[in-house]
Amino acid sequence: MKGYRRYFLNKLLWLLVTALFAFILNFTLPRLMPGDPVAAIVARLAQGMSNSTGMKAVYEQYAEQFGTNKPMITQFFLYVSNVFQGKFGASFSQFPRPVVDILKSSIWWTVSLQFPAIIVGWIIGNVLGVLAAYIRKGFDKVVMPVSLFISNLPAFGMAVILLVIFAVDLKWFPTSGGYGFDLIPEFSWRFIWSVIVHYQLPFWSIVLIAIGGQAIGMRSMSIYELNADYVKYARFLGIKDRKIVGYVFRNAMLPQITGLALAIGTMVGGALVAEIIFSYPGLGTTLLTAIQGQDYPLISAVTLIITVMVLLANFAIEIIYGLIDPRIKAAQTD
Amino acid sequence: MKHTLQQVFHSSKFVTGFCIFAAILLTVIIYPIFVPNPPLEIIAQGSFFPPGTYVSTYDTVFSSKAYTLNLPDAAAKRIAAKLGDKERQDIKDYLVLVGVPEAEIDTTNTIQLLSQWDKNYDPSKKISGMIFSKVRYYERLNKSLTGLLSEEGLILAAPNIDTGALEQIGTINLADYVNIKEVASVRTLPLGTDNFGRDVLTELVRATSVSLKIGLIAGLIATFIGLTLGLLGGYIGGTVDDVIMFITNLFTVIPSFVLLILISYSVGQEHRGPVMVATVIGFTSWVWTTRAVRSQVISLRNRDHVNLSKLSGHSLFHIITHDILPYIASYVVMALILQISSAILAEASLSVLGLGPKTSIDPTLGLMMNWAMIYQAQILGKWWAYFPVLIVIALITFSMNLMNTGLDQVFNPALRD
Amino acid sequence: MGKVILEVNELTTKYVTRFNEDVYAVDHVSLKVEEGKSLGIAGESGCGKSTLALSLMGYYFAPLHYTSGEIIIDGQNITGMHPDTVRKNILGNEIAYIPQAAMNALNPTQKIIHFIEDVVQAHDPKVSKKEIYELARERFEVLGLPKEVLQRYPVELSGGMKQRTVIATSVILEPKILIADEPSSALDVTSQKMVIKMLRYMMEKGYVKAMIFITHELPLLYNVTDDIMVMYAGQIVEKGSSKQTVFDPIHPYAKGLMGSIIVPESGLKDTKLTAIPGTPPNLKKPPEGCRFAERCKFVTPECKRYPVDMKYLESDRSYRCIFTEEQLRKAYQND
Repeated sequence: MKGYRRYFLNKLLWLLVTALFAFILNFTLPRLMPGDPVAAIVARLAQGMSNSTGMKAVYEQYAEQFGTNKPMITQFFLYVSNVFQGKFGASFSQFPRPVVDILKSSIWWTVSLQFPAIIVGWIIGNVLGVLAAYIRKGFDKVVMPVSLFISNLPAFGMAVILLVIFAVDLKWFPTSGGYGFDLIPEFSWRFIWSVIVHYQLPFWSIVLIAIGGQAIGMRSMSIYELNADYVKYARFLGIKDRKIVGYVFRNAMLPQITGLALAIGTMVGGALVAEIIFSYPGLGTTLLTAIQGQDYPLISAVTLIITVMVLLANFAIEIIYGLIDPRIKAAQTD
Repeated sequence: MKHTLQQVFHSSKFVTGFCIFAAILLTVIIYPIFVPNPPLEIIAQGSFFPPGTYVSTYDTVFSSKAYTLNLPDAAAKRIAAKLGDKERQDIKDYLVLVGVPEAEIDTTNTIQLLSQWDKNYDPSKKISGMIFSKVRYYERLNKSLTGLLSEEGLILAAPNIDTGALEQIGTINLADYVNIKEVASVRTLPLGTDNFGRDVLTELVRATSVSLKIGLIAGLIATFIGLTLGLLGGYIGGTVDDVIMFITNLFTVIPSFVLLILISYSVGQEHRGPVMVATVIGFTSWVWTTRAVRSQVISLRNRDHVNLSKLSGHSLFHIITHDILPYIASYVVMALILQISSAILAEASLSVLGLGPKTSIDPTLGLMMNWAMIYQAQILGKWWAYFPVLIVIALITFSMNLMNTGLDQVFNPALRD
Repeated sequence: MGKVILEVNELTTKYVTRFNEDVYAVDHVSLKVEEGKSLGIAGESGCGKSTLALSLMGYYFAPLHYTSGEIIIDGQNITGMHPDTVRKNILGNEIAYIPQAAMNALNPTQKIIHFIEDVVQAHDPKVSKKEIYELARERFEVLGLPKEVLQRYPVELSGGMKQRTVIATSVILEPKILIADEPSSALDVTSQKMVIKMLRYMMEKGYVKAMIFITHELPLLYNVTDDIMVMYAGQIVEKGSSKQTVFDPIHPYAKGLMGSIIVPESGLKDTKLTAIPGTPPNLKKPPEGCRFAERCKFVTPECKRYPVDMKYLESDRSYRCIFTEEQLRKAYQND
């Protein structure tokens, strides 16, 4: 257990370092643009806002809250402490609604859409990959090219295709939104059913994209493992092939977990764009409206939240990986 | 070298990928020679004209020569074009609503149906429960049915410049035809027009070429950064390597997508041209190349030929260019191919978010997608505005990945099954 | 003469390469192992001895394919059996295998005890985990392995410990015959000794009734096995008791092989160390006549003409050469 604690602390430290770095990037990048940041923001305000009293109010609030006239380093600490208190300021495009309110209403849609979808896609992809490696022949010849083609479609492409087939043509599912436009969020069967129906297409489009990429990786991992010495030995001791495929699956899966940790950022990025296609009320759509409305505080908050979510997911995966791969513990005790 | 190339071209995967890619590239080069129209020229008034050949109605009427063709099915076709099964059913529905007994309506009897329609249709009549769009629909239907069964031709009239009175200048008979080759103005739009009324095919070809350029620039930048960092980290090792690895690991977990959004937004719409977007993508996607190059260099670092070169007092630059680069060249090429295809995808995603290159001169695949999405082409069923774009994106990335897999199998024998 | 545990008659197996070429790595091999005896198989790498080990199991999977011949274990012919029957009733139960690279022979993410559970339950699903644990604990203790090993993952064990664990696992069901493919070649000298001691002890205890030991290290064979068989290019070229084969080889290849190693025995101390020049033939297209002809010092045109048969001598020796024993001995003396 000592070995694992070391591993855990190591990963925790890394999480903190990356989070700090994410804060720094999120803070500095927009301030790196040429010209006076305050002026630039005021210019943006003029473009994005329709009412002038609101504009002035935002500017004053902004100057006070973010201390734009103070030195950079002070601004940074002010920024971090604001973030931890949930003070992201007011949205430009939906003034005077606070950014944190907008985030609160959209983040759960994204979390409950993307994480199940990525995990389901990852599992199905891995099962198909190991089957392709084990069965070979016809299965391999069909699954692989299809996976290869699917994984080359951009995430939004898959979303558009599903949308056109199942929502526009067959009319099985609604084309957009998170629930029926005539409903208000409440705890009723009608509402829950509407949410489930609206969930399907965005969910499956993310799942399908994830399957493609994972199946390819898992197939080559499994081929490598199937040729390992322990497979031959287990066979010669009379262990059933099905059991051996189980060993191979598990062992090939472990690197795939690390692979997921590394790929999750890209996957979330793709999934955010897929959300937009379905106007799903999550962070992706929020980001789009923020960009269209030149809503700087909202963009900054959304990107930060996404980064932190990805970092946390990454951390969680590494922690689980450490728990299930005995080699990690052994390596740490050395 | 020659032998390796032979091997590469024996890999069926590589050859398939190469052929697809070459076909795309050739189209991009050759098409503008035959169709030199500016890609963003607005030619259509209105959005989303469907694919097809457009013949000038005016030129048709005043075609130099009129031919008389007595085609037996011409009348039936004319009726079928305006009075399909759906229209017949709609007429029946209307007749039932205004009180015609259902038994008397026979939707297959065109003459009876139209006479019943003429008798009963009254646009001024209010029918309860009928929504406004349906009322308008029936008005349009009625107009299109006018004169459908007429046996006579049309009279062409033009206003007299002096008196302003209409004067007959010709007739058009039902059996009059023109030869499409003799019509002065004909334009074929194989993929119709987009939401702004621009020729989708011409736009798509230019967009493909711009996207490929973005991919190439971004890929070259990313590969250059990745190669430099990977070589330095892998070969020099020590603190340099630690620092490089730290930065690389940081950028591996911080999603490049987020960086892309932040930087693109910060750069601002005015400064975002295709080259700028490509540069930003390049600067955010070097991580994987760095990792791959570094691990290759580490395995090479202690090989005999490298040690020999070190002992002979060659400079760092000489060792890297002569003793290391040739051995990792194949990996670098593969990484470059992947970078190009992922950069094309990144541009597309970025544009769908509204952070693509500014739109005045050049279209990109992502921008075309963005326009189609904003104008809801997918919901309106205007497939020609987005589907060809998706296919092109998928074909480009698919062909590049195939080439890459083929190369991988040649240069990495452990992967051959 | 004791009871015959393993009898192999004219066994031929082949590899099929990616390009659909056949490689006959085991070509009409016959052998017999009696109860309480051990047989060593020696040869250069690539001579087919490891393939022979795999072929003896009677369970074939790509790229190795069965062609012809019989394998009879304790009177039971296993070559005609359905692969599933072989798996359930023969492998592990009757015949067991210790792989060449024991370092990687254990599933890295499974505890030793769980692997042993899988092995036992593959043959009899009814045995409870508790019984298996007791069996494994007792077996490990007898063989001098701490019982804590059972709860470990392979990564947590040293090389020697891993190898001994593999051996103990292989004999958990008390197979009649054990086939050990270079069980000690990757180990340090101390671990090697322990492994050999362990193998012998298992024979004494009756956990295995007979053993086939494959190695390229001849001195080891001389110490461990009763008989030795020398293989060259997929065929047996000489067979006899360990002492005879090591100290008094008949076949020119066996002679060369013995000459190319150092045997720490007094009688051989001053003999010259000579390597055999040349390389073994390509088994995709083996030569018509004697396969060793290209490398043999005493080759005659006759050698390359027809396939050479085994010659049997009294005292259970045999060799594959067109010359008689006397002719060869004379030739060696003149050499």
